[in-house]
Amino acid sequence: MAFLIDCPNCGRRNPYEFRFGGECKEAPGPDADLNTWCEYLYFNENMSGFQQEWWYHNMGCGDWVKVRRNTVTHEITED
Amino acid sequence: MATTKKVLQYKEPEKHYDVVIVGGGLHGLATAYYLAKYHGVKRIAVLERRYIGSGGSGRNTEMVRSNKRAHETLPFYKDSLAMWDDLSAELDWNLMVQKKGIIALAHSDGELASMRMQSDSQRRAGIKIDMLDNQQIKKMVPSLDVSDQTALPVLGAQFHPEGGTVHHDAAVWGFAKSAARCGVDICVGIEVVGFNVEGSKVTGVQTNIGDINANKVHVAVGGYSSEIARMLGVKFPVVTMPMQVMTTNIMAPFLNYYVASPRLHWYTQQTLKGDLILGGQLDPFSSWNSYTTWEECSERVATILEYFPDLAHGRVVRSWSGLCDCTGDSAPVMGPSGIDGLSLDIAWGYYGFKATPACGKYSAEYIATNKVPENIKAFSLDRFFNRQRVREVIL
Ligand SMILES: Cc1cc2nc3c(=O)[nH]c(=O)nc-3n(C[C@H](O)[C@H](O)[C@H](O)COP(=O)(O)OP(=O)(O)OC[C@H]3O[C@@H](n4cnc5c(N)ncnc54)[C@H](O)[C@@H]3O)c2cc1C
Ligand SMILES: [Zn+2]
Repeated sequence: MAFLIDCPNCGRRNPYEFRFGGECKEAPGPDADLNTWCEYLYFNENMSGFQQEWWYHNMGCGDWVKVRRNTVTHEITED
Repeated sequence: MATTKKVLQYKEPEKHYDVVIVGGGLHGLATAYYLAKYHGVKRIAVLERRYIGSGGSGRNTEMVRSNKRAHETLPFYKDSLAMWDDLSAELDWNLMVQKKGIIALAHSDGELASMRMQSDSQRRAGIKIDMLDNQQIKKMVPSLDVSDQTALPVLGAQFHPEGGTVHHDAAVWGFAKSAARCGVDICVGIEVVGFNVEGSKVTGVQTNIGDINANKVHVAVGGYSSEIARMLGVKFPVVTMPMQVMTTNIMAPFLNYYVASPRLHWYTQQTLKGDLILGGQLDPFSSWNSYTTWEECSERVATILEYFPDLAHGRVVRSWSGLCDCTGDSAPVMGPSGIDGLSLDIAWGYYGFKATPACGKYSAEYIATNKVPENIKAFSLDRFFNRQRVREVIL
């Protein structure tokens, strides 16, 4: 693969060591109604471009890592 | 005899249409064709930003079948599969429909039980389906290793005799040509970049060459659906994932069926030309880039070789990928969008090729009548809010 993921514990690693956790979303508050929860669960921004996303380093340190990745070019940047 | 008549003449879009269709893939082209041919709609444009068939429609592995599980969707898939039979004659274009049969292998008792359950609901919907034991499989596919020597031995299979393949490029050109001959304007190099909405009603699209007015707008953009959502200020229930597939060198004919292992994520068929198509699993993370990788290629080849050891002399000669907008319930979104006059045919993931004829027919019916046809009600966007997600199994 043409990109590496920067794990704070393990350094720059092959993305196939990770499990993709999807885009970062803001969870609804405790008073949110059902529709808000449905939207949170099933609907995505699904960005073509930079997005904040979760990666789980299951073949490494076992931590969840937040990554800012361009889904079109696979470029990864610091915030 | 050589023909001098041009198959298809592209048009420059006009300023106003009855129906504008965004996306010149099979779904958009088929919808345009059915609208023009069966609903008498006169002014229709298909707007395609690249070239027709440049999305999933020209990249898929051509598998057509109706052996899904969720009962509310089976009449739709059954209809679509049957429609392919008459389309070559109707479109006057050879779609190379080959209903060679699909064999889906089981590697565990759990899978066998699940396949039997699926088979029952399929039979109830009038879909032909059989379970096979290893002896029967061996007879049909002599080159397949059904012994207990493989990593996960084959324990049986589900056989879908009416499934098979249709040539995807032929389908693109067949629908495009026929739509154009019914008066549809097929416009390439036109990118939709926004929508004009007045109150709660769509009035047209914004494009790279200016605004185009329309009474109705239909969205059939394949894996790119979330870009449309952003233009509308909404979200769709999808994630875009690439799917990679490959072909081998040409071999003497030896494989008469489409063979798949849902468990190990591989499937293969030998085309009329003699090469094998090898697929495929979605990539393990979202991406809008149609790359191919050594990781996918090596895993696919290794798992297929385990069951077709004679292929060790074969070579992968080409690979490609396409974008799939996937919902969590393995079903698409069709029908109303929430905005008047704007209809959807999206979220077809990696299974929308087979659905082309029915998508064209029912989308056209919805656009022309404003009534959601019975067979696509299960695919409504509302289902995600009404606890009516489709209970599909991934296959
Ligand atoms: C590798 C692979 C294998 C597959 N195998 C199978 C299979 O075996 N069987 C099966 O049933 N399905 C399969 N599929 C799924 C199938 O290919 C798709 O579901 C189907 O092609 C969708 O057709 P469509 O017309 O909706 O979209 P597409 O064919 O993707 O067409 C959408 C078009 O819209 C255009 N577009 C996008 N945005 C804009 C815009 N803003 N303005 C103008 N135009 C725009 C694009 O350029 C594109 O041409 C596979 C998919 C892939 C990627
Ligand atoms: Zn780590």
